[in-house]
Amino acid sequence: MRTSRLLAAAGLVLAAVSAGAGDDPRLRAVDPAELGYTYGVGAFAPEYAAPAPGSYALPTIDTVTDHPLLGADGRSTTLFALTRGRLAVVAFVYTTCIEAAGCPLSLGVLHRLDRALARDRQLARRVTLVTISFDPARDTPARMAVMRSFHAPESDWRFATTRSEAELQPLLADFDQPVAKLRFADGTWSGLFRHVLKVFLLDGEHRVRNVYSVGLLDATLVLTDLRTLLLETAAAGTNG
Amino acid sequence: MMRRVGSGFVVSVALAAVLLGTAAPRADETCMSPYMPKITGQEDYVYVWTLGVEGEGDGSDKLVTIGANPADAAHYGKVLSSVSVGGRHEAHHAGFADDRRYLWAGGLDDSMIWVFDLATDPAHPKVVRTIDSFVKDSGGVVGPHTFFALPGRMLITGLSNDKDHGGRTALVEYNNDGKFIQTLWLPDGAEYGYDARVQPRLNRMLTSSFTGWNNYMKELGKVIADPEAMKHFGSTMVVWDFHARKPIQTLEVPGAPLEIRWALQPRHNYGFTTTALTSRIWLVEQQDDGTFRASAVADIADPKRVPLPVDVSLSADDRYLFVDTFMDGSCRVYDVSDPHHPRLVHTKKIGAQVNMVSETWDGKRVYFTSSLLANWDKTGKDNEQFLKAYGWDGRQLTPLFAVDFAKEGLGRPHIMHFGQERFYKNQIYAGDAARLTAVR
Repeated sequence: MRTSRLLAAAGLVLAAVSAGAGDDPRLRAVDPAELGYTYGVGAFAPEYAAPAPGSYALPTIDTVTDHPLLGADGRSTTLFALTRGRLAVVAFVYTTCIEAAGCPLSLGVLHRLDRALARDRQLARRVTLVTISFDPARDTPARMAVMRSFHAPESDWRFATTRSEAELQPLLADFDQPVAKLRFADGTWSGLFRHVLKVFLLDGEHRVRNVYSVGLLDATLVLTDLRTLLLETAAAGTNG
Repeated sequence: MMRRVGSGFVVSVALAAVLLGTAAPRADETCMSPYMPKITGQEDYVYVWTLGVEGEGDGSDKLVTIGANPADAAHYGKVLSSVSVGGRHEAHHAGFADDRRYLWAGGLDDSMIWVFDLATDPAHPKVVRTIDSFVKDSGGVVGPHTFFALPGRMLITGLSNDKDHGGRTALVEYNNDGKFIQTLWLPDGAEYGYDARVQPRLNRMLTSSFTGWNNYMKELGKVIADPEAMKHFGSTMVVWDFHARKPIQTLEVPGAPLEIRWALQPRHNYGFTTTALTSRIWLVEQQDDGTFRASAVADIADPKRVPLPVDVSLSADDRYLFVDTFMDGSCRVYDVSDPHHPRLVHTKKIGAQVNMVSETWDGKRVYFTSSLLANWDKTGKDNEQFLKAYGWDGRQLTPLFAVDFAKEGLGRPHIMHFGQERFYKNQIYAGDAARLTAVR
């Protein structure tokens, strides 16, 4: 039920933000069930208690480098300037996404994380949430600012986009975040993207310590992982 | 205003579809990792990872692409391409990466792994990466078997090890770029490995157990005739805390439990496996206290005759379990609506031998291949090697097409996976009038 409410809320936000986005009238003929079906099996409501923080390891999956970004305030920034060596939860979205098990789910979970962090100031001081658009042509800083205002972050939750495809592609490649434009039969772009939903957990050294997709993305689980990394850092400090 | 209504409508319906679980299943296989996208609509291709046979074609292991869309009559049931990897490595299983654009395939003998790009030209896959360091990377794991997509990485089960080539083995993870992440050895008392499947809802992973290199690379007749060799088969399944990657429970499942299929419907907190040596269907079910219980719920054919159940496929509605028995070349279909009491509803002779079975998500088509292992396949005229497609109407299997892999000079077909032109070309259905046709 909690997940349902979040999804619904996120969907409403997206619907509002996407109003006026250049969607093709042919989208009316798209069967939404087919879009939902693509990731349907993975959409889930957790029926388990997350393992205790620190009771497991999160091995390094990959390491990312810094990339130029454009903040919601229109100013130039970079990924590392936003994360500032803190733990980071990085999610890629586009604001006109209509796949409920895609960007709305991602934003819903980050919204929950934001509120949970706001209630845990000690953890909040060590964590940054970053939502980055992979649709630079439509998701301007102004649009990202609207998205931000809808969510009214209570923790350090940043919204950013990029200046161009040229800036975006190396970022997506570095994160192994596949994104492709979905096209109609005549080759014209539908306005939608095919994208595997991924949310990335970075440690303070920019190492990817977990990747969450539809079947794994749950705010409680992400919080548990964040606390696990903090315990790891504390233990390293003690040992060092 | 029109656009506003359109967007809102689509969002609302999409949300409803996901939240209410009403997204109608369309196609694809039912046994795929839940952490990857599915294709919708009719599959266009069946990718068959195939063992090379000396004297047949180039004699090498290869990925064979078969046309599978009846709307494309010229290519339906035809070999569209084959890409050899050079040499024979005991090609066995393969699995898509998390975006489905790449297929990882392994060799059980020398532990080679190849990554095929399917997306660029779906009818003509290409090798884009070779991993020849699996044993070294993993700290001695041999025989990469199941390839199970996880977000950003690939989970690979091993079958053996490089110390004694016995059954002690591990799970190995790589990232999507082919960089090693970690090795998780199976626990003491349950050290054999085979399949691994995750139920995301429950944060539980099940692993099953087969045998080591010493047995799977030996002729089946010699293995069965050797009492010492027969002692070295797995008899356990392990329940893991998936997120923590920690084994939490060992289940006794005697007789080499092989393929694992979690039920797919909500609140169905159970899965099935079959035991190769004892010929039984096993139900692995979560109890009220959260632990799991394994129980034999049906015999498959006459266990005394060792029919050797191999692959299984569970229908999307959790109603039918398709069970292949290698020795009699048959598929038995069980109604498992009551998972504690499977009921045999149909038996179909597929060939002289049969191994893998894959049912489509819409429940209308079932595909079979013939080869088990190079040294375990039958010999002489019974060594039939084929891919066969059948229709399933809920009562019986009806032949659709067959490809004779021996006649085509391809080898021994093993695992099958489905591909679709539309998916890889990033095309979208937009109503019947605009429905897309495959472009080859």
